[in-house]
Amino acid sequence: MAVYKRTYSAYEGSFTPAWSRFLILPRYSFAHLWQSKFLVMFFMACFFYPLGCVGYIYLANNLSILSSFGLPPPVGEFLKVQPSLFLYFCYVQAAFTYVLTAFVGPSLVSPDLVNGAMPLYLCRPFSRTEYIAGKMSVLVYLLSMVTWVPGLILFVIQASLAGWEWTKANLWIAGSIFIGLAVWVLVLSLLALALSAWVKWKIAAGGLVLGVFFAGAGFGTALNSVMRTSYGSLLNLTEVMFTIWSKLFRWPSDTGISVEASWICVGVVCATCLWLLVRRVRAFEVVK
Amino acid sequence: MDPVIELAGLSVRFGNREILHNLRVSLSGRTIGLLGPNGAGKSTLIQTLLGFVPLSAGSANIFGHDIRQQTRELRALIGYMPENDSFIANLTAVSFVRMMGELAGLPHDAALERAHEVLFYVGLGEARYRLLGTYSLGMKQLAKLAQAIVHGPRLLILDEPTNGLDPPARLRMIRLIKEMKQTGSMHIVVCSHLLRDVEETCEEVLILKQGRIVHYSNLEEERRANKRFVELETVGDEKDFAGALTALGCECVGAGLGRLKMVLPAEFELREIYRLAAERDLQLRRLNYRRDTLEDIFLKAMEA
Amino acid sequence: MNDRIVLDNVSRFYGEVLGVNRVTLSVPPGITSLVGPNGSGKTTLMNLITGLVRPTRGSIQVLGISPTDPEKLFRVCGYATQFDSFPRGMTGFEFISSYLRLSGMSHDDCQRTTAFAIGRVNLGEAAHRKIAGYSKGMRQRIKLAQAIAHDPRVLVLDEPLNGLDPLVRAETIALFREFAAEGRHVIVSSHILHEVDTISDQVILLSNGYVVAEGKIHGVREEMREHPMQVIIRCTRANLLASRVFEQDHVVEVRLHADGGGLLVKTRDADRFYKALNHLALDGVGIESVAPADDNVNSLYEYLIGGEESTR
Repeated sequence: MAVYKRTYSAYEGSFTPAWSRFLILPRYSFAHLWQSKFLVMFFMACFFYPLGCVGYIYLANNLSILSSFGLPPPVGEFLKVQPSLFLYFCYVQAAFTYVLTAFVGPSLVSPDLVNGAMPLYLCRPFSRTEYIAGKMSVLVYLLSMVTWVPGLILFVIQASLAGWEWTKANLWIAGSIFIGLAVWVLVLSLLALALSAWVKWKIAAGGLVLGVFFAGAGFGTALNSVMRTSYGSLLNLTEVMFTIWSKLFRWPSDTGISVEASWICVGVVCATCLWLLVRRVRAFEVVK
Repeated sequence: MDPVIELAGLSVRFGNREILHNLRVSLSGRTIGLLGPNGAGKSTLIQTLLGFVPLSAGSANIFGHDIRQQTRELRALIGYMPENDSFIANLTAVSFVRMMGELAGLPHDAALERAHEVLFYVGLGEARYRLLGTYSLGMKQLAKLAQAIVHGPRLLILDEPTNGLDPPARLRMIRLIKEMKQTGSMHIVVCSHLLRDVEETCEEVLILKQGRIVHYSNLEEERRANKRFVELETVGDEKDFAGALTALGCECVGAGLGRLKMVLPAEFELREIYRLAAERDLQLRRLNYRRDTLEDIFLKAMEA
Repeated sequence: MNDRIVLDNVSRFYGEVLGVNRVTLSVPPGITSLVGPNGSGKTTLMNLITGLVRPTRGSIQVLGISPTDPEKLFRVCGYATQFDSFPRGMTGFEFISSYLRLSGMSHDDCQRTTAFAIGRVNLGEAAHRKIAGYSKGMRQRIKLAQAIAHDPRVLVLDEPLNGLDPLVRAETIALFREFAAEGRHVIVSSHILHEVDTISDQVILLSNGYVVAEGKIHGVREEMREHPMQVIIRCTRANLLASRVFEQDHVVEVRLHADGGGLLVKTRDADRFYKALNHLALDGVGIESVAPADDNVNSLYEYLIGGEESTR
C-alpha cells in the first residue's frame, strides 16, 4: 500500500543531442500551421500548375496522341519543351510563394517577441543562430516544396521521356532551376522573418511582405521615369529576379538591368534582412 | 559548502555608464536573496550571469564554471523566471512548458510528462489546457515558474517572483519557493525589492546599491545569534515596572502605548520579568525576542 | 500461476491531453475499488487493463496475459462499460448468447450458460423482452450478466451499481463478494464512498490522471501522517477525559463538544491511543460511545483529492 505525494523532483533521464534542437521550432510551427484549413488548401492549390506542366510535357513528348485526336501534325510543332517552359514555371510558382509567405511568415517570430518570450529561449542551451535556423527552416521547407522540388521533378520527367540525348544537352536547366528558385526562397524567407521580427501586428506584417514588392515596383518605375534610367528597377525585387532567372535560363531579358547588378542587389537584400533579424532576436533591449 | 556563485571583481558597462562596479563575493547558500532598490543593478547582474550581457572586467563562476567560457553548459543547469511578462500567447500552457523543456534538452515524451507534473505542482493543473493569452497575471507568473523548473535545473533564478500578485497568490508563491528549497535538489536565487519576501525564504542576502555591494549577511547565522533583545507590550502601569527592571540591570526604553524595548544583561532569567509583573498585577500581552531584522540591516545599508 | 494485474510505469496521453501518467500498480485478487472525480482517469485505466486502449508508455500484464492479445485476454476477462448502448432489436437473452457464441461455445452450451448468467443477476423473465424496453436497473443487470457469462477470472466494471435500487444493490454486492471469495479479481469504479468502504478489500484513489493512494483502506489511512487520526468519544466527564488524554504524547489536538458530553481527539498514533483508552476508560469518565471519525474512504478522498485547489 502506498500514498503518493506529488512533489517536485529533479529530472534524471537522458537528454537529446544538441545539434537537433533547432528542429524543435519547426515541429511546433508546423503542428500549428497545418491546423489552418486555408493553408492546407492553398498549399494543395500550389501544385495545380506543376501538374499542368506535367501534362504539357507528356503531350509534347508523345505527339502521336495528338494525331489520335485528329489534330494535324503542324499543331505538334507548337508543343516543344524548351527552357522557357521552366522559366515560366518559375514565374508562376514564385507568385504562389508570395501568398504563402504572407500567410505563414508573420506568425513565426512576432509571437515570441510581442510578449517578451525571447529571454526564455535564450536562457536555455539554445543560441540565436539555432533560433533563426529553426524559424527559417519552416519557410524554407514550405517554399522549397512548392518551387524547386516540383521543378526538378518536372525536369526528371522530361528527361526520362525525352531520352538521353536531350538530357545531355539540357542538363544545365536542372542547375538553373535549383539555383534560381533556391535564391528566391532564401530572399523571401529572410524578408518575411525580418518583417515578422520588426512588425508586431501579424496582419500588417503579412501585408508588408506583399507591400515590399509593390512599393519596390512603384518606386522603381517612378525612379526610372524621373531619372531616365533603368537602374531604378533594382528597387523592384521582381524585376531583379526576372533578370537573374532570364540569365539562368538563357532567355533574353528586357528589364534593362545587368545580371551582375541584380546579384549584388540580392546579396544586399539578404544581408540587410539578416542584420535586421539579428538586431531584434535578443534577450533584452537596452534602454538608453 | 561548495560555492554556488562566485563574483571576482565583476564589472559591467553600457556605453560609458558603469552599471556594476567591481563586485566581489562568494555565495553558497541553499537560497540566496538579492536585494536592492530599483536601479541598483540586480537585474543586470542576473542578465550577466546568464550570459546575456558581456562583462567589462573581472570574472564570475557558477558551480565552478566560468560564465564566459562555459555559457552553454551553465544554461543547461539554470532555470530563469524573468521579471517582465514572458509568454507566447497562442500556445496552451502544456505546449509552452513542453516546448521549453524540449529546448532545454528533454526528449519529446519526457517533456510532456514533466510539463503536466510541473504545472500541477505550481497549481495550474486545472487551467493547463487553456491558451496562455487567456491567463490572469498570477497565472502567468506561475507559468513562468513552471517553465523555469521543468528541466530540473540546479540553480533557479527568480526575478521579482511576487511582482503584481495579490496577497493569496503571493503566499502561494512563497510557499512554493520554500517547498522547492526543502526538496534539496536545487539552489534558488530570489531577486526582489520586497524585504518580506526575501526574509521569509532566504538564508543568505546580498544587498546592492547603485551597482555596488553594500552588505552581505547570512540570515541563518544571525537568527541563531543574539537573543538578548526583548520587546514587551504591557497593559497597566508600566513605568513602575520599567523602573524595577532597570534596577535589576536591564536597559529599558519605552516606545509608547505600553511598549517596552529592553536589552537584558548576560545572566538575566526571563522568569524575573514575570515575577515583577505578577507583583504589580501587570498583564504582558506580548513577549518577543527581537533580533536585527532584515529591515534594520537594509535601512542601515542604504544609509551607508 | 500469476494472480495479479500488474501495471508498470504506464502512461496514456491523448495527444497532449493527459489520460493517466506513470501508474504503477499490482492488484491482488479481491474487490478493488477505483475512486476519483470525473476525468481522473478511471475509465482510461479500465480501458488500458482490457486492452481497448494501448499505453503510450509502460507495460501491462493481466494474470500474465498482455492486453495486446485480446484472443487470450477476453477469455479470462469480462468488461462492463459505463456506456449504455446495445445492439438494436435484441432481447436480453439474445444479446448475451450471441456474444457467447463468439467464444466458440456450441448452441446448447450458450443457451445454458446464458440462462445461468441471467439467473445470477436475477433478471428472470424480462430477459426475453427487447432491451429497448428495459429500465435503467435492468440495463445495468444485463450488462453485468454479459460480463460474467463466460465465467471470467477478472471482472472490470465501470460504475456497475449506478441506478440500481437498494435491494438489487445488495444482491449485486453479494455477487461481487462471491466472486472475490472464489479468488477472482473484481475491479469496480464507484462514486458512492461509503459503499466502497464496506465492500472493498483494496482501494485505488485517482486524481487528474495520477494514482494518489492505493492499498487496503486502513493501511492507506495510517500512512497519511500529516492528517492525524480523528476519534469521536461521547462520555459523561469530557473535561476529565480530555486532561487524561493530553498526557499521551501522541495526541495533537482535543476538542470538546459544545454540549460538554463528548470530545474529538486527533492523534498521530492510532494503535497507542486505543490501547491507552482501555486504561483511561477505567478512570470513571463514563464512556458511552467511541467511533473513528475519518478512517474511511470519504476522508481519504477529502484529504487527498478534495483538498487540491487550483488557481483561477
